[in-house]
Amino acid sequence: MSNLRKYFALSSVIFLIVLALAPFKDYFQEWKSYQNQYNVLVNDLPQRVTPVPIGIKQLWIPKFDRVDRCVTCHLGMKEEALKNVRQPFTTHPHMYHDVEEFGCTFCHEGQGSATEYKESLGKVKFWDKPIFPKEFMEASCAKCHKEQIIPQAPILTLGRKIIQESNCAGCHKIEGYQKQWVPPLDGIGSKVNRTWLVNWLKNPKAYSPKTRMPNFLLPEEEANILADFLMTFKELPNGVTLESAPAVLTSASEAVKAKMIDLGSTRFKEARCISCHTVNGKGGYVANELGKVASKDNKEWLYNYIKNPKHISPDVAMPRFRLKENELTGMVAYIESEFVDYEMEAQPEHTPDPAFYEKGLALFKKYNCNGCHELSAAHKSEEVGPELSLIGSKKIYEIDFGKTTIDQSLPSYIHAKLATPRIFSPAMKMPNFQFTDEEMQAVTVALLGNTNETIPEEYIVHAKPKSTFVPQGEFGKIVKDLACMSCHVMNGNGRLVATDLSMEASQVQRKWVEGYFKVPYSLRPILTERMPNFFLPNDEIKTIADYMEKVFVVDSLDHEITKDAASVSKGKGLYFEKFGCQSCHQISGKGGYVGPPLDKIGSRLKGGWIYHWLKNPQAYKPESIEPDNKLTDEEAEDLAAYLISLK
Amino acid sequence: MKKFFEKIFQSKVWRSIFRHGLPVSNRTRAEAVFYNFFLHVHPTKVRKRSLKFTYTWGLGGLSVGLFIVLVFTGALLMLYYRPSVAQAYWDMKDLQFVVSSGQFLRNMHRWAAHAMVAIVFLHMMRVFYTGSYRPPKEFNWVIGVMLLVITVLLSYTGYLLPWDQLSYWGISVGTNMVRSVPFGIGDKISFLLLGGNSVGENALVRFYVLHCFIIPVAAMVLMGIHFWRIRKDGGV
Repeated sequence: MSNLRKYFALSSVIFLIVLALAPFKDYFQEWKSYQNQYNVLVNDLPQRVTPVPIGIKQLWIPKFDRVDRCVTCHLGMKEEALKNVRQPFTTHPHMYHDVEEFGCTFCHEGQGSATEYKESLGKVKFWDKPIFPKEFMEASCAKCHKEQIIPQAPILTLGRKIIQESNCAGCHKIEGYQKQWVPPLDGIGSKVNRTWLVNWLKNPKAYSPKTRMPNFLLPEEEANILADFLMTFKELPNGVTLESAPAVLTSASEAVKAKMIDLGSTRFKEARCISCHTVNGKGGYVANELGKVASKDNKEWLYNYIKNPKHISPDVAMPRFRLKENELTGMVAYIESEFVDYEMEAQPEHTPDPAFYEKGLALFKKYNCNGCHELSAAHKSEEVGPELSLIGSKKIYEIDFGKTTIDQSLPSYIHAKLATPRIFSPAMKMPNFQFTDEEMQAVTVALLGNTNETIPEEYIVHAKPKSTFVPQGEFGKIVKDLACMSCHVMNGNGRLVATDLSMEASQVQRKWVEGYFKVPYSLRPILTERMPNFFLPNDEIKTIADYMEKVFVVDSLDHEITKDAASVSKGKGLYFEKFGCQSCHQISGKGGYVGPPLDKIGSRLKGGWIYHWLKNPQAYKPESIEPDNKLTDEEAEDLAAYLISLK
Repeated sequence: MKKFFEKIFQSKVWRSIFRHGLPVSNRTRAEAVFYNFFLHVHPTKVRKRSLKFTYTWGLGGLSVGLFIVLVFTGALLMLYYRPSVAQAYWDMKDLQFVVSSGQFLRNMHRWAAHAMVAIVFLHMMRVFYTGSYRPPKEFNWVIGVMLLVITVLLSYTGYLLPWDQLSYWGISVGTNMVRSVPFGIGDKISFLLLGGNSVGENALVRFYVLHCFIIPVAAMVLMGIHFWRIRKDGGV
């Protein structure tokens, strides 16, 4: 009995102590210690920084339904004087948005309401959004910024571009991304050979390192069945038939052949095929690799394709070069002789599986090949991958990490999935895109940005509505045939690889345009893309020049320049002395090479354009590095007069 | 000194509060119990052996002690908590992070709740194994069982209030289990509990009212009867 009383007494005392500790625990909180440390720190600084009164501080953002107490400890965020002090007191790096308006967790995530370090990071139970690691921060920009290019968020911008170009939308539904054009597979049996196809299916990047086709990690057997299946599709879509290749390609004597190859080689260079195509990795990035194309495509197909690409494949961006019959044959002969893959892995003798067609079709559907490639035998794809429009809001408990031991968070899940697509279960079908680390990071960022958060409409920056301008009529036909808009922009539509043509006729002289199509040259020696030579006949050049003169004009660029000698010499003085233009531009071989050379500029540009351009270059090309020298009207006129005198 | 105290005990104020005199005789000792609100449920006489700790292990007393702790901390928690879908979880977070001793309050409430369920259960086991349910105490056993059910219900209704994933799915599972009661009764009860067909705003308000008012009041009434009966039967 007395023992029991002792225990009772002891436990009472223990409980009393515990109870007494509770208010102490409340008094000695982490954040109070930080605030005291901060006050000590700012007292010691040479600059004057106001100490803070002790107490919880918070940013209340009712619009986003957030309360962020990060500022309880991050006290020096706006104090420039604290740039070099330790965390949590240091100055925030450049902020694009007002912290009073947006709070902290809107961009950083984490648990804003917390007042303890560990809890604030949000890597705790029942918190779905832990703080973003620095490398994935830009994902938050995506919540509001729906526009294509966000200069302040280069990683996000890159990620969105990769998602678009890798055609993720082929298998996954993702809001804001459209399926890209990919060659349809009807007729592939008349185009490629089986050996190439098997090798390609097994590892596309071995043939062309820059291809967008991912590696489906097919086992040997599946690759063979799929190749047998695909080789049965010999008929081109829309009932198009291939002309047989000229007999001379096979029957010609060695001497004739050498001549043919010589001609083909010349035309290949003149046409500047490598402006768009790469040859063994060198060249443009617009079109596909040609270095081993002769081991892939047969003569007949090459001949028909170069002759009229859009006849074979209506949506392809390849222009139709105006080649004569012998030039065409020469080109094919040249390709056949030059672009051979001598290292192509030979395939062993192979007897097709008796049920290869059915099995092949099943595989075709299993890997959702028709998510990207059209094929008449398979119906439109059912998007087999999960929708990714809201993947950034996926909760951790919704994710199956399989048997992996990676960090249990959404960014590492997405990153691991991109690096090793079937890491979480061998039954998964996602192919390997073989992204670089930088690309994986960018794609992860872009995907993390797809959240279900509701943002007030006034904060959303929408993508600019895409221009649907497509020139019609005679000019339209030429534009389509030459795929001009694969490189040039016209009235907001097209891909900007080369120049924007929307005000071309106000910028350049008609005579120069006509001459340019005869011998296209690059205006800047440092650029790699070069205008191909289409070998256009005169009447087509006339149509182009006529159309441009009537449509690609901006009236406000008209400006009469008086070309008297006084004005020209004043302009010359301005050029060489006042503004030092020669540091970037060359005239008769002297000067810098950053800007285009200005020899004969007077035969190319119109005076009005030079005048307006000099006055405010960024108004016409925001990314231009041409300095805005704030020229007076008179200076601009004189300088323009001097430049157009350079004929 | 003695005189001083005697003067106080004889004063008008003291006598208006404690009508009986000092417990010096058996009569005044009995009066001290009868006339005191807090003591009047006590039996006037208790058997000495029932005072032994191991006789009851004090489990009933511990249960009511925990109940008092729960009422006290619960009332304080009610000051900060709003039973609405938009606010409930954030109020909990605020309790955790910014209310003075808020986390301590929550923890007290939670641990006392867990302990109460366990101790009430142990209490029932003790009563069962010592045969204390035998006549004339059968009815008090029944009330005791009702109190056990009420304790469990209090615990269950409180589970939803934090409005996190655990609560949401806990209540979803629980009310779906109710649904399997046959003859369509289950669906009706579940609908009544949730104020709808799924766990949402209505369910939260209903569970809040049940947890903070209806069930505690029922518990107090039943406890009153429970204690009164024990005392009349000579228990502590």
